Order: sequence, then C-alpha cells, then structure tokens
Amino acid sequence: MSADQFNMPANVEKRHFATTRWSIVLAAGGVGRNGCRTALTQLCEIYWYPLYAYVRSSAGVREAQDLTQSFFAHLLEKRTIGKADHDRGRFRDFLLASLKNFLANERQKACAQKRGGKSVRLSLDFAAGESRYQIEPSHALTAENLYERRWVLTLLDQVLERLRLELIQSGNAEHFGQLKGALIGETTAEEYARAAAVLDITPAAAKQAAYRMRRRFRQLFRQCVAQTLADESDVDDEISRLLEVLAG
Amino acid sequence: MSQSPCCPKCGAPLLEDAPAGLCPKCLVQAGFESDKPPRPEPAATAPSPASSRFTPPEVEELAKRFPLLEILELLGKGGMGAVYKARQPGLDRLVAIKILPAEIGHDPAFAERFAREARALARLNHPNIVAIYDFGQTDGLYFFVMEYVDGVNLRQAMQAGRVMPQSALAIVPQICDALQFAHDEGIVHRDIKPENILIDKRGRVKIADFGLAKLLGLDQADHALTQTRQVMGTLRYMAPEQMEGSHEVDHRADIYSLGVVFYELLTGELPIGRFAPPSKKVEIDVRLDEVVLRALEKEPEQRYQHASELKAGVDHVSATPAGTRGPAPAGRKSDLPPSAPDARLSRCALAGAIWASYFFVALAVAAGILYWANNSDRVRIATAPAHTVQIPNAGGSSMFGGLIAYEAVAPIRLAVPITPIALMALLQQSISWGGLLIIAAAVPGLIGLAAPFGTTILGFSAIHHIRCSAGKLYGLPLAVFDALLFPLLLLDVLLLAAGCGLAYAAWMTFVYAFSMGRDQQQVLAILFLLFFVGASGALAIWLDWRIARAVWRNATGLIPAPKPAAAAIFPAAPRPIEPPGGLGKEGPEHHPLDARESRRSVGPTSAAAGDSAGGAAPRRTADRPLLAPDARLSRCALAGVIWASYFFAAFVVAAAVAALLYHH
Repeated sequence: MSADQFNMPANVEKRHFATTRWSIVLAAGGVGRNGCRTALTQLCEIYWYPLYAYVRSSAGVREAQDLTQSFFAHLLEKRTIGKADHDRGRFRDFLLASLKNFLANERQKACAQKRGGKSVRLSLDFAAGESRYQIEPSHALTAENLYERRWVLTLLDQVLERLRLELIQSGNAEHFGQLKGALIGETTAEEYARAAAVLDITPAAAKQAAYRMRRRFRQLFRQCVAQTLADESDVDDEISRLLEVLAG
Repeated sequence: MSQSPCCPKCGAPLLEDAPAGLCPKCLVQAGFESDKPPRPEPAATAPSPASSRFTPPEVEELAKRFPLLEILELLGKGGMGAVYKARQPGLDRLVAIKILPAEIGHDPAFAERFAREARALARLNHPNIVAIYDFGQTDGLYFFVMEYVDGVNLRQAMQAGRVMPQSALAIVPQICDALQFAHDEGIVHRDIKPENILIDKRGRVKIADFGLAKLLGLDQADHALTQTRQVMGTLRYMAPEQMEGSHEVDHRADIYSLGVVFYELLTGELPIGRFAPPSKKVEIDVRLDEVVLRALEKEPEQRYQHASELKAGVDHVSATPAGTRGPAPAGRKSDLPPSAPDARLSRCALAGAIWASYFFVALAVAAGILYWANNSDRVRIATAPAHTVQIPNAGGSSMFGGLIAYEAVAPIRLAVPITPIALMALLQQSISWGGLLIIAAAVPGLIGLAAPFGTTILGFSAIHHIRCSAGKLYGLPLAVFDALLFPLLLLDVLLLAAGCGLAYAAWMTFVYAFSMGRDQQQVLAILFLLFFVGASGALAIWLDWRIARAVWRNATGLIPAPKPAAAAIFPAAPRPIEPPGGLGKEGPEHHPLDARESRRSVGPTSAAAGDSAGGAAPRRTADRPLLAPDARLSRCALAGVIWASYFFAAFVVAAAVAALLYHH
C-alpha cells in the first residue's frame, strides 16, 4: 500500500510522489493502459539521470540527450514487458538492461536522428544533468557500477528532498538543515545543543525532532526502494545490494 | 556544518555528489536499521492538528448562512468537518450542525451523492442512532442538521478513565442494535470508532456519522491516506477487506470495527499484530474472548454475520453468572453453549442416534424371532441334561446369549470391513446428507457388532465438534446420549451379570452348606437373586448417573482460560491462543496437548474442519497443532491405554486359568 501521498500546499510544484510502483507496471503486463503508463513515466522521470550518465560516458552531450529521450520514448511505447525478462524484479536492473538493448539496436541501425515518441516526451532537465555529470568525481569503476552508484544517489536525493518538503510543509523548515546530520546517527549532545539554540527549542525537543526525522527518513527510504521492486519483501535484499554498491 | 571532507560516522571521504552533504553509505545504512528510540516517547503519536487543511468558519460567519438557526458554539472539528451546537428557536430545541469540508463541494458529482446519502440516512430512525433532521448546502458549504447529543464520545470517556469492562457490556449491545437496524436498511457505517460513538448523560449510546465515510471517500485506506493526516487514526478500526481496497466490503466490516472498539473498551489497547485475548489482560469472563475474537476474524465469512448475533453472544455472557473458572452445574438449560441463529444439528450426533435406534430395532426383531424359535424347540430344551440349573430366568439368559450369537455371526462379514471405513469417512469429512442416507440404507448390514462402537465414537466426536463450533452446531444432549448409551448399557449388563453370578454363587454355597427342600431352594434362589441383582442394579444406576453427570459437565463446561504455554501453539494463526476443543476430561485443568485431541480446533476457525458449519471453504490450519515446549501427554489418553492393557491382560489370564481348569 502506498502511504506516501500527503497533502501538499498548493504552492509546491506538483511532483508525483504518488503510487509509482514497478509492480503496478509489471502487473499490468506493460504500458498498455493509461494508469500504468503514468506510473512508468513517473518512475522514469525520477531515475533518468543514471541512464543519461551511462549514455554520456560514451557519447557527446547532444547525442546523449537524443539517445536518452528516444530510449524513454521507446520504452513507454512498448506494448508489453515480456514475462521472460530476467530483470523484472528490480526496476533498476530492468532499466539498464533495456537501455543496453536499445543502444545496441540503435548502433546497428545507425539512426541517431530517430525521434520516436511523438506523443511521449519526458520533461528532463538535461542542463542540470550535464552539470551534475561534470562535477562528478572520477571513479575507476565499470559503467554498470557507476550506473548503480548513481542510482543510489538519485534515490537518496529523492528521499531527502521529500523529507525536506514534508518538514517545510509541517512548519519545521529549518529542522532539516540543522538536524540532517542526525540522520546518520552520530550526533553528540553538543551538536544537539547547538542545533537547538538555532531552532529556538530545547535540546531534548531537538533530540525528539531528530528521532522523528530519522524514523520518517527510514520510512520514506524503504518506500522509495519498494516502488522500484516487483515484490515488497525484497526491500531488505535491495538495500543490502545498494550498500554493496556504495562500498565497492 | 563544517566543511570536513570526511563522514563523521564511517570516516569515508565525502564526495561532491554526496546527497545533502551526507555520506550516502551511512544514509543507506540508516535506512536499513531498525530504530531504537532515545527514550520512551511521550504520547505524541497523533500528529498535531496545526496543519489541518480545513479551517471551519467562525460562529458569526456561520450564523449569517443559517438565518433560521441560532448558532451557539463550535463543538469540535475533525477530518470529516466541523460540528456546531445550535438552537432551533421555533421548536426550541438544541441541534447539531455538521459542516463538511469546503473542498468537498468542488466535485460536481458530490451534490447528487450527498442528496442520495442524506435521504438514506434520514430513514435511520432509531434510539441509538443520531437522527438527521435536515441537510443541504448554502454557498457551496454542505451541511447536516442533526440531533444534539448532550454527552461525550467514547474516546473522551475512555481517556477520562470512566469506562469499566462492565460498561463495555452495556454499551456494545446498544451499538449492535443500531448497527443491525442500519444494516437492515441497507446502510453500512464504514467508520465505526470511539469518536463516532456518543454517550449522553443518561447513558444512552448513539452512533453518529453513518455513511459519511463513504460519502467523503474516506472509507478505504488508500483514499483515506490522501486526505488529512487526522484520518490516520481511523485505519486501526478498518476491516481488512476495507484496507485492501476490495470492493467486497459489506456490513460485516462494521462488525469488525465494533470488535476493535470492544477490545479497546475491555483492555484499553488496540488489537494489533499478535494480541492476547481480553481475558488475559483484564479480569473478565473468559467467554467474552470468543465473542470478541469472532468479531475480529480477518475473513468476513468467519465473523458474526449479523450485529444481532454479536449482541446475542454478549447478552448470553452477561446473563449467566458463571465466572472465569469451573464448569457450570449440570442439568440447567443455560449450560448449553449459545447457538447462532443459523445453527444446525450436529450430523454426527444424529447419525449416532439413528444407528443406535437401528440396533435396538434389530435387537427386538431378533428377540422376537428367537423367542418364536425357542418356543417351537421347547421340548428339546426341556429334555436337555439336568445340569442346567433351575434359575428362573434361564430362558432369558440363553435367549440373550443366543441373540448375541445371532447378531454377531450373520452380518459380521459386512460389518467388519465397512465399519472402520465408514467411521473414518464420517469423522474426517463433513458428513453430507448423502452420507447420512447411505448410513440409513446400509445400516441393516452394519447392525451387528458395529452399532455400539459406531454410535459411541460418533457421539464423542459430535460433542467435540459442537463445542468447537462456537454456536454453529447444536444437539449437545443428543451427542452425549449417543456417546454414553452403549458404554453404560454394557456396564449395566456386566454389573447385572455379576449380580446374577454372585447370586448363583451365594445360592450354591447355601445349598451345599445347608440341606433344604426344593421349595426352600427356590425361595432362597429368588431371595438371593433379588438381593444381588438389586444391589448390582442399584450400583449400575448409580454409576450411570455419576458418569453421565461427569461427562455432561465436561461437555458443557466453560472453556477454562488456557495457560501461557499454550501461546506457542499456533504462531501462524491470526490470534495466538486457541480455546481448546477436546473433552478435557481432566476438567478445569487444561494443558496444551489437549489441543491434540481436538484436531484443527482454533475456536471458530475449526468450523472449517470435521462436522463443520455448512461446508464453508475449509481453512485448514496444520492438521496437528504445533506443541508448546512444555507440553505433556494427555493423562486421560494414558489412563485409557493402561486400563485397556489391564483388560487384555486379565482376559489372557482368565483364558489361561480356564484352560488349566479344563485340563483338570
């Protein structure tokens, strides 16, 4: 059950924090119906950056943009997601595998101008993506590992952004900035006191707020991970995998 | 925050693309681990209503919209709108006005739904339902005018600590009345919770906000969550089928919600996860456990099907004074477990009774035949060697012996193979009416040895099933009769035979000790016979009475509260502890292994097994229950086996002695 649609004030830009679930798409068997096309579109709009970066590592800026857009158009127009796809379980794997297939086909056809998807064009902020790509530190990792690493970071960004927006909306805008260090757990009493001073609350209240934030972060994190899986009980597995990716 | 390039926790270097400047690895780790709160959190589970998206209009503002009413004050606000106290000057009575959130009006289809719903609610004219006087909309603001209840809601009463378990027994039946009335009108509340249950100053219960949940789209979990956060509390009272968003939600969802409220009233806690039955948390009658747990069944089919049934269950517990331990005294009508309105007669008990009656009919017929045969052979018997002793009932005993032989030989070929198979079929499956017909038709072949065994086993089985069926089966007296008929008969026969034997032995002793005339011998014989047979007869009757009473007590006894060890038995079941089936001949002392005697007995859930309630979809839990670590062997079973072995040993010894005597 997706419990992640909370009321947003009207002035917040409408982001789809809704029931995007990989399992919806899989259950529908593909993008035939409107409902799950939206679901898949939303998923793509969130996790496009790792794909872009993957393409970008072997192509120029313009070409990477074209290829990324056409890939998504191709994906969203495809009628069925075959049951034989081995990577169905995880959206992350599925996406990369599809991209690789697509790129291989594209190279064969050598039709870089093909702009499919006259009806589907995702709104992706390529400029931001490009600058992010530029500032990325270099890694001695394979492209797949890089993809996965970016995937995790994108995921974390999304979760933290949602957390921040929730805090703003509930009237605790500064909490995020001051207490975010507490998310990873190691905060000394002195740091709590300092944060409490800035926020104008007691240190005990700061600790409580930090605890709630941590708990909410964990919930959001698990939810976001679950959205990209076919089976919710795989969440712990997926998180372990993500940890491995980061460690390596 | 400092610009240190290393993570304070794991020491890894923080890179430029770190999310929000935090170490990604530690973040993922944090998302993985389970939380330990720094210290017990103060009761701040309800999110602060500071951000309720619905600000109700002020009293003055509202008064402008309702010129015909005198708006007095704001009574409260929640996710479903705001309620004001008002007065109708013309009728000089107090009313309550409920204003629905303004966003509701944006939906164009809403107006029609609203009108339809309001008309349906207006039909609910019941002392336990808050009446609707009027409804409508002014300037896009939808409102209801309702009965004003001068009191508090159940949540407030619980928080003030004024609700004792006894009060729960007074409140719940009234709620059941209201629900049954509404369900009969085809209206489901869908949002039963303490906040919607009002209690006025005279102690009368009134249910509010009927049907509003559906109207506002808050009756399903996924919709509810897209609305205000304050609705979150409702989720705890929502039936499982409502949570799943299934469209099969019907009036039984209300019964589930009532079950949650009932549990909370009794124990002060919500039944979440693996929860203990109420009697284990509070000092209340153990029979209430069944009522509450049955209302809380996850499958709608397993719950009470009507609110009136729940009320009947509660009333029964309130009416009978039995406490939490000890069986009820035998013989009173109230001993019998309450039966649901749709209960049916236990087919096992019925089958046993039919079988037994066939046996006796056959006995009578055979007796008649033999008597006729005997009469025609009287001359032959009379000329038999005179070692036959002149015991007045010689004809009777030889007749009886002949009867046994007659009975046994002829149908034995049929009886022996069929009987075990038939019994197994009967006991393991739900015996259908077809099966019953087969018994009736095939019984002539089964009469012989089979009836005493068949009837007895069926009788005990029926007792067990009736006890486990939680009211779905009745016929306990018949089942007990079946179970005891042949064993007690056998006991009586044996005792009478022993009496005869003793009479004979005493008579022989006297006759050889003193010399008497023929007439005196006859008189003596009669005297001894009367004495010994009379004594053994009296003994037989007394034993019958004691045994019957003991078995009856056990069959109708209160199910005693199980010991804590029993909690380990059904980890997979929706509730942790099962009321035991089984006869529990050990009386009030109950232990986990008795559950083995009651196969698949998980209280109402066992209705799916054996002699079940109308062949509902069988929900088989494990065939054999898992054992608690400290389970022990049933003493009844052990005693029975030891006794049987004595019997066979005695039999063997007697045979040996007889053989030795014969050789001499």
